[in-house]
Amino acid sequence: MRVIAIKVMIGLEVHCQLNTQSKLFCSCEAYPQNAKPNESVCEVCLGYPGAKPVLNKKAIDHVVGIGIAMGCKINSETYFSRKTYFYPDMPKNFQITQYEVPIASEGTIEVNSSKIRIRRVHLEEDPARIIYANGSLETTSYVLIDYNRAGVPLAEIVTEPDIGSPKDARAFLEKLSAILEYLKAYDQSTGASLRVDANISIEGGERVEIKNVTGFENVEKALNYEIVRQQNLVRLGRKVERETRHFDEVAKTTLPLRKKEFEEDYGYIFDPDLPVLKISAEWITRIREKMPDLPDKIAARLADEYGLGAYDAKIIVYTGSDFATFFEKVCKIHNKPVEVSRWMINYLLKSLNWRSERLSQSKVTPETFAEFLDMIDKGKVNERYAKELIKEYVDTGDKPSEIVERAGSPPTHDEMERTVKNVLKENVKAVSELKAGRLEAKQYLIGMVLKETRNRGDPKAIARMISEELKMPL
Amino acid sequence: MPTYDATVVTKTKSAGGMILGKTAQDEFGFGTFSDTCAYAVPKNPIDPERTCGGSSGGAGCLAAAADFPHIAIAESTGGSITAPAAFTGTVGLTPTYGRVSRYGLIDYSNSMDKIGVISRKVYDSALMLSVISGHDPLDSTSSRAESGDFTAYVGKSVKGIRIGIPKEYFSDVDRKVSKPVEDALGRLEGMGAKTVDISLPRTKYAIAAYYIVAMGEASTNLARYCGMRYGAQEKIDGEFSEYFSSIRSKYFGEEAKRRIILGTYVRAAGFRDAYYTKALKVRGLLIKEFKEAFAKVDVLATPSMPILPPRFDEIESMSPLDKYNIDKMTTAPNLCGFPTISVPAGKVDGLPVGLQLIADHFHEGELISVASAFEGDSD
Repeated sequence: MRVIAIKVMIGLEVHCQLNTQSKLFCSCEAYPQNAKPNESVCEVCLGYPGAKPVLNKKAIDHVVGIGIAMGCKINSETYFSRKTYFYPDMPKNFQITQYEVPIASEGTIEVNSSKIRIRRVHLEEDPARIIYANGSLETTSYVLIDYNRAGVPLAEIVTEPDIGSPKDARAFLEKLSAILEYLKAYDQSTGASLRVDANISIEGGERVEIKNVTGFENVEKALNYEIVRQQNLVRLGRKVERETRHFDEVAKTTLPLRKKEFEEDYGYIFDPDLPVLKISAEWITRIREKMPDLPDKIAARLADEYGLGAYDAKIIVYTGSDFATFFEKVCKIHNKPVEVSRWMINYLLKSLNWRSERLSQSKVTPETFAEFLDMIDKGKVNERYAKELIKEYVDTGDKPSEIVERAGSPPTHDEMERTVKNVLKENVKAVSELKAGRLEAKQYLIGMVLKETRNRGDPKAIARMISEELKMPL
Repeated sequence: MPTYDATVVTKTKSAGGMILGKTAQDEFGFGTFSDTCAYAVPKNPIDPERTCGGSSGGAGCLAAAADFPHIAIAESTGGSITAPAAFTGTVGLTPTYGRVSRYGLIDYSNSMDKIGVISRKVYDSALMLSVISGHDPLDSTSSRAESGDFTAYVGKSVKGIRIGIPKEYFSDVDRKVSKPVEDALGRLEGMGAKTVDISLPRTKYAIAAYYIVAMGEASTNLARYCGMRYGAQEKIDGEFSEYFSSIRSKYFGEEAKRRIILGTYVRAAGFRDAYYTKALKVRGLLIKEFKEAFAKVDVLATPSMPILPPRFDEIESMSPLDKYNIDKMTTAPNLCGFPTISVPAGKVDGLPVGLQLIADHFHEGELISVASAFEGDSD
């Protein structure tokens, strides 16, 4: 099959639940911890007759900040509108959003050295959460609705269709998410999330929208699937129709939701309960002055200050602000930044990911992690054992020295010698290979000894014992 | 029963007032004659064959008929305080948009809805406005303008006050109505007020612009009534959209349905610019025209209604458009958020006629002064 290079155009709409105490238009808690469904509600977010919205200024601060971070124009006069459509998760059957003039427009984010234009960043309210009581959208016979989410502030970030590949789409989302996090506009630890709608077209075809994909990896998968699907249609001489599809996370495919013959008609009007929002130059300056450093700048500083490779510095920064802060704190105690970075990126992150935990949510502290690295450094634990140890350490948060103590004392010199002798006796073939000069055989034998001792013991000492036993030079 | 109090209710209670109950009105405020009430139609205490006016008809009826001290809270979007005040021979005060908090008011057209008062005497209306007005953090459109004690304006001299007479509000009006209003203006001149002829030619666009904005907004406000969170509910059968449609078809009255359909049409893609957006521009131009007039005069005077209170059988023969056209005295000031007062200007054939006074934004004081001076003279 001939692979045809085709032009792919991807645009993203990202909905970010903003980091505020209260909801967008009322004083209900936006992210109540341990709340039962429908506990964080009032007449405003339930859309009761007569209740009126009052705008949360903190949410505007966030959107202005996001706009500044992306080099957007901040509009001095902006409006709220009613987007009317009927759906069970909509308390008023209209959503208060921004239609005419958003808070921020015309910015850019650079991804893999290409510029992605940001069309607009606007503020809107989240609808309630729908819970498919028995299964999924396809299989459920009824739904439950949790209005705790209704009225949570959302920043909607809309790109132009400038993204050229699913891989770049994912990179864009990872970068965007880090920027939002460093701005403190987005805080996953409260339970806030990012939701993505993606639209994709291949040259000559109509635009297909994929709704509500969770997880950046899934966005990439959904888009890859769409390219293949759309190319196949073209190959068969069929047209790519304009439609909305949704991503099936299990099958990793997209399925049609509805055909779109024309733009949906939301009958936008200005929300008459909310006056024009004026954002003064002073307001913008105040936000600008408080802007934290953004991820790229921090990565450059880490590379410079700590002698890290540019790639490693980016991984540390883009993993999250908690990760980068942790790195610097550990370096203050254990001043070997390259080692700190290596163990954080290769092993700490892996253990956290395995537990689906963020560093800030974990029991790991800079002090105990520094102790852990110090033990490796001083030869108290070998690397192999350390890789085992870190799992238990991340699981329990206990001091690494205590975990080692709990595991019992390491084998004595005599015990170790006995184990070496046994291993040499049982691996005649490897021994003869080693004698014939194959040095890999020695690594194999060391490995077998470590296995016998459950990774306790210093590999260098074991190597010495093997050499002595076989009366060979080191 | 509502789960929370409206701000006007809270304010009334904390000032020592007693809320007696709810008065009848046209469904969602959609009407001029209280003939589309969801429950019962209020009858005019002067002649039960005739309307009290609407939409705050029950408020007007009770203000006129109560034999105990009583002030009615009423609501006006396009004239719903002036109409019942005029038809029941009471005083109706419609404040500036934003003067009184709308928190808790069931929305009709949020950019025009105003809570006001209907009472026997101007003093009572001024007193009640003092109680219910003022900024409310729960209503983002409520004004921070100074409110204070409006009773201080009662009984002030009208000497030197300039009253504008817009000619467009005297043509095509029942002579039985315009005559007493002209006499009333003559009496005010006698008290030292000066009358000035004014023209407000853009008034002819007011009814169309008013109904477009009002229905556009109303159709979004009414979207929430779908049988899910409050109001009528039935066993859910079929898909949510089928259920919503069946509840809405069954429980909304005919006028509500008419306004939902028209309101959805005027804001639909492809029609929005021609109707909704244009109506907003008309509103801007009308405000400008009124503001120019208020540079020359303190208040404007018009008949409150173009007709005497009609009989219910007469109303039945009116088309919806005929009914909308009855609002021609009130739509322009209501669309533009100007305060108005309707004060009794005598009776014709035993039926009351109202004098409507219109002032610039936040100038209720002038309305109260002129109305109370006139009222005192009528007594």
